[in-house]
Amino acid sequence: MNLCKRACLYSIRKKGKTLTLLAFLLVMATLMLTCLSIQSATETANANIKKALLGYFTINAKTLENGIPEDTVSQILDVDGLSGRYTLRSYTYATYFDADGNLLEINTEGAAQVPEGYENAGRVVANSNSQEDSYFTDGGFEMVEGNPITTETGSQVLIHEKFAQRNGLSVGDTMLLGNVEDKDKTIPVTVAGIFTNTEEQDSIGMAPSYDLYDNIVFTDLSTASFLLYGTEGTTNVQYGDFYVNDPDELERIMTDVQELEGVDWESCTLTRYDNDYQNAKESLEGLQNIVFIAIAVVSVICFLVLALFLTLRLRGRIHETGVYLAMGISKGSVLLQYLLEVILVAAIALVISFGTSTAISHQIGSSLLSQVTSETYETVDLTGESDTAEEEPTEDLGLAEIEVAVSAEDYALVWAFGMVLCVASTALAAYPIMKMKPKSILSQMS
Amino acid sequence: MNLGIRAILYSARKWKKTLLVFFLLLAITTLVLSGLAIADAQEEQAEEVRGTTGASFTVERNLSTGGWSNGSDGTYSTQEFISEDMIQEIASVDGIEGYDASFILMPFFYDETGKALPAKVYSFFTYGTINSEYSELFLSGKLEIVEGSHITDDIDNGIIISRELAEENGLEIGDTITGVCYPENNTPEVDMQLVGIFDVVADKDDQVNMYDASSYFDYSDYTFCSMGAMVQLVEGWGTDEIEEANFYVSDAAQLDSVIAEVQKISSINWNNFNITANDEVYQNISSALSDTGTLITTLIVVITAVSMVLIILILSMSIRSRKRETGILLAVGIAKPAVILQYVLETLLIAVVAFPLAYLSSKQVAGTLGTLFGKAAENVIVTPEHFMLVAIVGGVLLVAAVLVSSISTLRLKPKQILSQME
Repeated sequence: MNLCKRACLYSIRKKGKTLTLLAFLLVMATLMLTCLSIQSATETANANIKKALLGYFTINAKTLENGIPEDTVSQILDVDGLSGRYTLRSYTYATYFDADGNLLEINTEGAAQVPEGYENAGRVVANSNSQEDSYFTDGGFEMVEGNPITTETGSQVLIHEKFAQRNGLSVGDTMLLGNVEDKDKTIPVTVAGIFTNTEEQDSIGMAPSYDLYDNIVFTDLSTASFLLYGTEGTTNVQYGDFYVNDPDELERIMTDVQELEGVDWESCTLTRYDNDYQNAKESLEGLQNIVFIAIAVVSVICFLVLALFLTLRLRGRIHETGVYLAMGISKGSVLLQYLLEVILVAAIALVISFGTSTAISHQIGSSLLSQVTSETYETVDLTGESDTAEEEPTEDLGLAEIEVAVSAEDYALVWAFGMVLCVASTALAAYPIMKMKPKSILSQMS
Repeated sequence: MNLGIRAILYSARKWKKTLLVFFLLLAITTLVLSGLAIADAQEEQAEEVRGTTGASFTVERNLSTGGWSNGSDGTYSTQEFISEDMIQEIASVDGIEGYDASFILMPFFYDETGKALPAKVYSFFTYGTINSEYSELFLSGKLEIVEGSHITDDIDNGIIISRELAEENGLEIGDTITGVCYPENNTPEVDMQLVGIFDVVADKDDQVNMYDASSYFDYSDYTFCSMGAMVQLVEGWGTDEIEEANFYVSDAAQLDSVIAEVQKISSINWNNFNITANDEVYQNISSALSDTGTLITTLIVVITAVSMVLIILILSMSIRSRKRETGILLAVGIAKPAVILQYVLETLLIAVVAFPLAYLSSKQVAGTLGTLFGKAAENVIVTPEHFMLVAIVGGVLLVAAVLVSSISTLRLKPKQILSQME
């Protein structure tokens, strides 16, 4: 009888034992695969945390004659590692005219001085998204009417409530913004919205007239680019904040950016902002290490248990081994038979384990996922007596969806290790038995 | 022969088999114990991460419920100021890690020889501070202490200046600087000791600012001085006092409950003050962080569940291989319960040795990991509670496993058992 046949027959005859072995190997393989899939999921979660800590760098190109050209901005955005979230900003001053070219009146009450040439001028702030400008995020500015500016083009402005009242402007009206030095350079803009400040300016008496809240105008980047650089059809900007996926890579990304051609980087200031990440860095690494520790402990002990189990199984077959040897079957083929049995069962277990671990992973994944979507952050309004706690939608940080899935590499890894281990531990356990003569084996039987 | 002796004899005679089962039990128990310790460590680590997000709440005067008065420089609020006692009281609430209050003045400074320190603008933008470490400018990383130390609540006349100012005027840590708020009005002169020097990290050249008072001063003209010294500067002059205070919590997840606790302080008239929570960073990472937590917990649950299954499998295998023995024992007239009890006893004998050893070995594992990974693994501690849990659940599980695996054998008559043997 050839050894393959013997192996198969043994496995079929000893249904119970084979099933136990199958169950054992299946459980082990499932455990390993699930652990590995959980580990790669925690890596995604960790990358999400890093991304959510919002590391970014700012390019200050104020001193450049032409700022940062549009092409360079898109080149920067192509640099590997950027999260795609960015803010472009420009700041300038402009003289305000109505549609007919008459000067508009600004507020001078509370101004430290009204600088010459700025009698009808104010600060112009251009931002990719006016809602994200610090005046709105930190300074307590609020929209009263109309819509914020969210496009780079469109020739729009937002004006202060008081400025609108003073000059009889309302949403939809047209006004002109003029270059402060070159009065002929004007650009018509539409009033897209009206804002107001909810907090008093604390620099009243210190600020020149053009910096007073009432005299500020928000506009789009291309309008600012026209006022600053005289560009038409293309938009150059003074500042750019670029967010990265992994704050650890900030240094590398900043170097890459500075290697781009077309901009005199020597005259620009690049500043990195990753304080939140630096604060959390050490603790985060700790968290990552814990996952790694868990996986390491599981793997080592799994292998140990598997080796012990196979040994235990083989030791129960000393008698059988003695009989085989006594029958004149060579040691090599007896060993091969044992190996074949284990490999046969292991192969089946590994195939099934893909299904079971995928099912488990899916279960874990879906329970995690539902947690993410059902978690709405309540911003508790502690400031006022009013109980109308507004539920702000969470900011979309563009975090990756966490997927708990068995990857092909993990599966291959478990296959390879599992097989090697089965073979090695079976061979090792069989070694002392094989060393003995059939007679001594059979005589030492209980 | 009594069943206790039989159990011991069996274990001793079949020492190799006993040893194997012992090692299996040891390995699995170590795994579960380490798993439990790791789950706890994860909790702590996540708490630490939450602690680094700088979640805080701000207490400030509620101007809308206070009165208003007119003075020489316009209208001002007559609302109650924040007292230092009040700050101390809030700071003593559990869960608050640090706090700072600011009170801004623009005084002039003189060195030991009486020479006025030159300011780029009119004077120096000075924050009166209790713990400068928790000042927003330092926390955000815009400024960074490079020499000396921060001002803490037990330094009552310290001052921190910029490196530029120190170098230009040859000032060193320990030097005395005299501050005067309004020299033309002979306001009190206050001597302060230079305790720290900071470096400017932020790009002040960036025009992203709102042209509030602070933005008209260069960062190198910012100074921080002890609240005590600050109060002395304007003693008897004006109405400047603390308008707002920031309190930082050690665990961002507890922010709301800490605030609720603070609002219960009855000695403070909360009608006059507002509390605002600031935990944007935590809100950003909280979902990803809790995902990590859930994943690790799941991992541990999976490990524990699998370990249970493994123990049951191993024991049922070892019992099943003793079918013949069971038949013989029954044939010689030993009662079925006695046979089962013997098996249970054998298993427990092994467990009694394996469990405590697993406790030691898992501590060893934790120790090794500690040296490998440094700080993170220090949190991986196997506690006696973990051990108790594992010992009790493990013991019950073992007994149950033996019982379940003996059922099939014990249902049969001795004759049937022996005749179906190979």
